[in-house]
Amino acid sequence: MVAKDKQRIAIALKHGNVPAHGSGSGMGSEPTSTESELASTLLASRTGMREKVRQWWPYYAMMAPGLLFFFIWHYVPIWEAKMAFENVRIIPPNIWVGWKNFEVLFSSPIFYQVLANTLIISGMKILFVFPVPIIVALLLNEVRSGKLRGAVQSAIYLPHFLSWVVIAGVFIALLSPTDGAVNQVQTAMGFEPVNYMTNTGTIRWVLVVSEIWRSAGWDSLLYLAAIFAIAPELYEAAEMDGANRWQKIRHVTIPGIVPTIATLFILNMGMFLSADLNQIINMQNAVNASTIDIIDTYVYRMGLSTGEYALATAAGLFKAVIGMALVLVSHFVSKRLTGKGVW
Amino acid sequence: MTLKKLLLATTAIAALGAMAMPAMAQTTLRLVSKDLLTTNPDDVKEIEAIEAALKAQGTDVDIQIVDLPGSGYADALGVMLLSGDIPDIMYFQGGDQKMAEQGILEDLTPWIEKSAHIKDALWPHNVDRLANYPYLLYVYPPRAPQPVMRKDWLDQLGLEPPQTVEEYEALFQAIHDADLDGDGTTGNTLGLTGYGTTAELDSVFNQAFGVTGTWMKNADGAWVSSRVTDAEKAKLEFYAELAAKDLFDKEFVTNTWDVKEDKFYTGKAGVIFGSSPEVIDIYTGKMRQAHPGEEIDLALLPAPSGPGGQGLAAVDVSKESRGWAISSLSENKEAAFAVLDFMASKEGQDIDRMGFEGVHHTTDASGAVTYTDQISTWYARFFNAANWTSPTPLLSPTAQQALDNLKSDFTPDNAFVWPADYAADVDATEQVYRSWVAKFITGEASFDQWDQFVSEYNAAGGSRMAEYAATVLK
Repeated sequence: MVAKDKQRIAIALKHGNVPAHGSGSGMGSEPTSTESELASTLLASRTGMREKVRQWWPYYAMMAPGLLFFFIWHYVPIWEAKMAFENVRIIPPNIWVGWKNFEVLFSSPIFYQVLANTLIISGMKILFVFPVPIIVALLLNEVRSGKLRGAVQSAIYLPHFLSWVVIAGVFIALLSPTDGAVNQVQTAMGFEPVNYMTNTGTIRWVLVVSEIWRSAGWDSLLYLAAIFAIAPELYEAAEMDGANRWQKIRHVTIPGIVPTIATLFILNMGMFLSADLNQIINMQNAVNASTIDIIDTYVYRMGLSTGEYALATAAGLFKAVIGMALVLVSHFVSKRLTGKGVW
Repeated sequence: MTLKKLLLATTAIAALGAMAMPAMAQTTLRLVSKDLLTTNPDDVKEIEAIEAALKAQGTDVDIQIVDLPGSGYADALGVMLLSGDIPDIMYFQGGDQKMAEQGILEDLTPWIEKSAHIKDALWPHNVDRLANYPYLLYVYPPRAPQPVMRKDWLDQLGLEPPQTVEEYEALFQAIHDADLDGDGTTGNTLGLTGYGTTAELDSVFNQAFGVTGTWMKNADGAWVSSRVTDAEKAKLEFYAELAAKDLFDKEFVTNTWDVKEDKFYTGKAGVIFGSSPEVIDIYTGKMRQAHPGEEIDLALLPAPSGPGGQGLAAVDVSKESRGWAISSLSENKEAAFAVLDFMASKEGQDIDRMGFEGVHHTTDASGAVTYTDQISTWYARFFNAANWTSPTPLLSPTAQQALDNLKSDFTPDNAFVWPADYAADVDATEQVYRSWVAKFITGEASFDQWDQFVSEYNAAGGSRMAEYAATVLK
């Protein structure tokens, strides 16, 4: 048995997630528990794909719907991305036009403004929105009363289930310069009212704040789950060493969730150029359009609304390539800095 | 030929004939429209009424509604067509130009020429639009928003409907200064509100300030976009002045149509624009609902005279922005056009405009028609023919006046259909214009920056567009 297999057996034994094998085995059978049985299982799995499927079929069966979903909705469209290089004809065949759609896209008078807006808004979200769920999870973990924590969690998860149409309405009302609550407080304190929704200097911050309001609670779930998975012994050991709560957060909790943070950060980088079409469309108006017009809104307006699907696909492909590059860069930087990446 | 073979051949021919008979007798048409859904019983009932009436005239069609969601309809229709699913009759609300370029929309010119009803049902702007772009048919009066206010408020102020730009400002000021909504506070009612853009206001103030069309000639005789002219600047200065005095809603940019209406019904604004005569009647109904027990009527305010002239804004006749099309790939174009032609006929209009007997209207023994309260829930799914007259007035006097204005004030604009290569320029200049207009009006930008706006507009594609316009406009 090779060293790698030994390692896998050790992990499997520790976590108890190895299926039964051999005659009469099945989902309801007792799991194997000895090293020799595990060794034979692993060796058998190396004999070929058919044998693997036979041995692990319940897991393959459970995985199949997911694989099918990804194949249909995520891999088949990759092939159809060739539309970006075609003049799409409703009556086939499509006509190959090479890079023409990209040339149209990049020669648009406002494309670079749109790209800059996308980078700025996405950058602001990574910088100011991404850390908030982590902080929320850390704070929630420190709440000792289970009831209070439950109540807070319910309250902060709620905005996640509201659509952007509703949220935009709430923010427009809240920030109204005449009767909005924010401006009324501001006026009471002696400041001039500000129309946050039309002010080109404030609208991007409205996007950031509304994003935090909507997603910080829900997104903290993953971090909270990661915190709960940290071995209690580590906290006990820290306590024995005299660590206070802050020191436990700093030296146990945060290092414990770094892999989760790194993974989510890398995945977020993949979506870097998708600054949330729904949010922007609902918050956009005649004044702020030039400030928050992003690639997605531009593509929607120029591509989908006018039937220029090839142009829309070209922009989508451009975004995908940049996103892939960002994922790879983030992955390797993360590997170098934390030892953790997405694989 | 043996007897057996003869029998077989006869049987086969008979069988084929039997199979072919129903197909020859009835034509199946697939129809997609935002306002026709199989889930709406009224829609289904209207289609059945149309089928029955057509059958009585000798055209046996089975109209099958293709359901598409009303929300995001244009996008959903585009995707459906791109996937190769092309119904015989299609209602477009944008996205049609690409389909016309791809040759899937039938040129309606020859069909309309030989039509029995449509050619007589067209409005003047329909004729111009079809001449420029013969793929969409939308038999409706032009959409030119017109201002309305509560008649009792106008009476309380002791004012006549304003006739000039100055009188409009005086009216807005009077509304603002009086406590017409009776909340005990003066100065908290806006003279005028709007939503999104200034397009509604432009409908009556463009001509007053001399913005006569999309393209105007400058002092050198060259065609320029009216958006960068002195006339446009004077008009925007007037809007900005109204906003600065709190007479025009500075929040118009973030208002949605329902917020605009709500401000009107709750007395936060005195004047709003109705996009069509029917909409003006809807406003009246909603105003009465908001103030039960008060028989409130709305007064239509006329287009004012100003330094540049008077009248409703010029109507874009480059093409229909929405409307009906027939698939050029349809095997049943005759039947498809017969349906549209029927809807422009008196019988078709009676169905489409008056709703169902006993529900939306009643007819007594003498043939007199009375509309029921339910008529307010009914809307035409197809056409509003220019030559159809309701047996009983369907519109209120105010809405009828608005319709008469549309007829008498019609002026064709000189806008034209842009080639696909200019789509990015059109989009970019529109963004620049809308953004600067809102900034000028809300005070975020000063009119000293007008030249900066013009430079930005031209750089965003305005110059290129003007060059092209010079080749189109003679």
